[in-house]
Amino acid sequence: MTVQDNTGQANPGQVDPGQVNLGQVDTGGPQVLSGIRVLDLSRWVSGEFATKLFADFGADVIKVEKPGEGSYTRHWGPFPGDKPDPEVSALYLHLNTNKRSIALDLRGEADRDLLLRLAETADAVVESFRPGQLERLGLGPAELRARNPRLVVTRISPFGQDGPYRDYEATGIVLQAMGGPMHATGEAGRSPQRKPGLLEHYTIGRTAGEATLAGVFFARRAGTGAVIDISGQEVLLAGADRRASYLLSAAYSGMNAPRGVRSAHRGAATFTGPFRASDGYVMVYITNQEFWNRLIRLIGEGNQAFLDKFLNRIHLGDDWDEFITYLRAWFAARPKIELMTRCEAARIPLTAYLGMDELAANEHFRGRDCFVAADHPVAGRLEYIGPPWRMRGGYRLRHPAPLLDQHGAQIRAEFEPATTRSSSS
Amino acid sequence: MRYPLEGIRVVDLTVVWSGPGATAFLGDLGAEVIRIEGNNRVSRQTSAKATKEAAAATAYHGATFPDRDPGARPYDRSALFNWHSRNKLAACMNLDTPEGHEAAVALLAMSDVFVENNSNGVLEKLGLSHEYLLELNPRLIVARMPPLGMTGPMSSYLGYGPNFNSLVGIAAMDGYEGETPDTAGENYHMDEAAPAGLAFAVLAALLDRERTGKGGLIEFAQAENVMQEVGEFFLDLQFNQRNPPLLGNSDPHLLQEAFPAAEDDRWVAISVRSDRDWAALTEAAGSPAWSALGASAAARRAQSGPLRTHIADWTRTLPAAEIVRRLQAAGVPAGEVMTETRLLDDEHLAARDWFKERSHPSVGTYRYPGNPWRADGFEVAFGRVLPGFGEDNEYVYKTLLGYSDARYDDLVERGLVTTVQFA
Repeated sequence: MTVQDNTGQANPGQVDPGQVNLGQVDTGGPQVLSGIRVLDLSRWVSGEFATKLFADFGADVIKVEKPGEGSYTRHWGPFPGDKPDPEVSALYLHLNTNKRSIALDLRGEADRDLLLRLAETADAVVESFRPGQLERLGLGPAELRARNPRLVVTRISPFGQDGPYRDYEATGIVLQAMGGPMHATGEAGRSPQRKPGLLEHYTIGRTAGEATLAGVFFARRAGTGAVIDISGQEVLLAGADRRASYLLSAAYSGMNAPRGVRSAHRGAATFTGPFRASDGYVMVYITNQEFWNRLIRLIGEGNQAFLDKFLNRIHLGDDWDEFITYLRAWFAARPKIELMTRCEAARIPLTAYLGMDELAANEHFRGRDCFVAADHPVAGRLEYIGPPWRMRGGYRLRHPAPLLDQHGAQIRAEFEPATTRSSSS
Repeated sequence: MRYPLEGIRVVDLTVVWSGPGATAFLGDLGAEVIRIEGNNRVSRQTSAKATKEAAAATAYHGATFPDRDPGARPYDRSALFNWHSRNKLAACMNLDTPEGHEAAVALLAMSDVFVENNSNGVLEKLGLSHEYLLELNPRLIVARMPPLGMTGPMSSYLGYGPNFNSLVGIAAMDGYEGETPDTAGENYHMDEAAPAGLAFAVLAALLDRERTGKGGLIEFAQAENVMQEVGEFFLDLQFNQRNPPLLGNSDPHLLQEAFPAAEDDRWVAISVRSDRDWAALTEAAGSPAWSALGASAAARRAQSGPLRTHIADWTRTLPAAEIVRRLQAAGVPAGEVMTETRLLDDEHLAARDWFKERSHPSVGTYRYPGNPWRADGFEVAFGRVLPGFGEDNEYVYKTLLGYSDARYDDLVERGLVTTVQFA
């Protein structure tokens, strides 16, 4: 654990902000959130991602875990060789970098008291229990803020802390159904499709992190904390993935966003979407006349009849089928990276679908130090996805995710009632 | 004090989705967000020349206007702009003219944050590089949002959100189960990921500024921000040398699908997490013969397809609302795949007062999507729902920049400062 530095001293290695070396992850000195302490009571992706943002940018995040079991993310995987082991779940290892772990039995009086003492020194608590559970444990916002009026308590739930659906059960797909643009996703005439992976939980978590930091910022200025209600549904409804604009279009004109119809652009011969290459797929975005003409020149090179027919077209009618058949064949005969490179050279928006293996090997991302290695006592040396953005005093991988209760003794020593409070807070 | 960012001024030179979404979050926190927009270029995703006839000819774009009518001021009336425009101010500034440049520099000299999401090089061409701005105003926080970053061999690549989703592995995971990834529909996830991340970064930079007295550059490479969301698959690659499978609506830990309801094109997402969920679901379905087939996690994995067929045969017999009611009463995760018009009528969102009814002279009175979250202890802003084009010209030029009436009137007379957009 790096000792936090909240003395306000300038980092001697600090560079002129205009001269930040963007290719480098910084390796020392205070970080932007050094001196902030967050208690992470969450057990799933959204809460853990919210607090990961704090931890990766310098805050002291104490992960409070259930004794003997730990976070749900320890049990999700994927695992090496698909053998479940709570110390090497990829999801946990990714989401809990730079955090400390303590196992606390929140139903027991001694551990609950310890949590309340921790809350006295903390800037924020992030929790994602079912609504009402924290109160049942005697750790509701009232109890927590009685100990520390400046505390920010961020509560993450599927549908918020009140309202008719407060106690509804939800999973990721249910949240996408009720909040996200899922009805508009998929092919016309088939079932709606969710977004892949755990993306909805990450979105909710990032937003919960932003809300929590806003609360901490307010508390530093105003001297009082807050209770923040994160409804996963509302976060997704407000989304820039078009959902918020779809909702407003519905309010304006009664339109429901159609499924299976990609962005219908105005007037011009424009189209977007995935196409097959000889070895995979590419994503094409022809959104204006300039891109259209560049594409026609590229795929029609040496074919004067094609060029004469399709250059400068504004609308396509019956000859759309002829065009798209030609295009599909042209793409399908070439590898995806070659297509991407040639289109970029011609300034046409087209990118290749990369798998994780290709992402890991990509010279652009690797050259920008997007992947950061660390040794974990059980999982060994691994590369993690690194900085989500770059700034002075920004992202740093100080240490990998903790073992369950790895820092229990250390934290208990810091917060034993008989001892003087740690100077690190 | 009411808002976290009270007294913080943000200059907003963002377009399309992710950037304006980010500045909307800063406005929610009480910052004064000032959009600077030229009258000679499209900045609001709609042309000033949009007509009712053209709108009627396009199913989707036409319907982004109130009653499908662009009206006299289309740029004040598009849902593609107005979904993010709450709390924002707008001033007309043509940055490619000496007058516009001078005003922008003066405004940036007295502001706290500058957010832009233009292509790499645009700021430099405008004479507003971050190096110059940070020299001009060392307390300024300059947030730039290039999709692939400001350096590196691909940093100049053209593309939109779905292009960059495909580079970080998301598109390859997206599509119908057992099919190919070109079956996925629209996925603009990178745009959704940026706003909260950018707002977090700005808040962190503001905290840091209180300690150091210095602003600085935030390089917010949007593809790298969304790359966080494949972190577990990146580790799985190292563990097991494999790429993520294409799962569609399925999930290896859950029995789940979007199931058809009795009504046309209405669907209910249902997940079975445990033996308890399975018992509750089959009981809600009237304890059919197939109940025994999925009693264990191993059985539900092995028989996932056939079990989902059985569940679909049951859900097809019931209205969506009834399926959700029965399953939620039994503690099983279930929710209708909601269309926008259904959400506008939803009792839960109504009880939580999520949609906000607001009026604007250019638009009329409608309900707007609400804030992403709420707080007890400080306020989250939802004030004026949009700035008409140039609506805050006088405030910005006269009150903030201190231009005299004569100087302001001259700019107006020469057509450099207007309340109409021409492009």
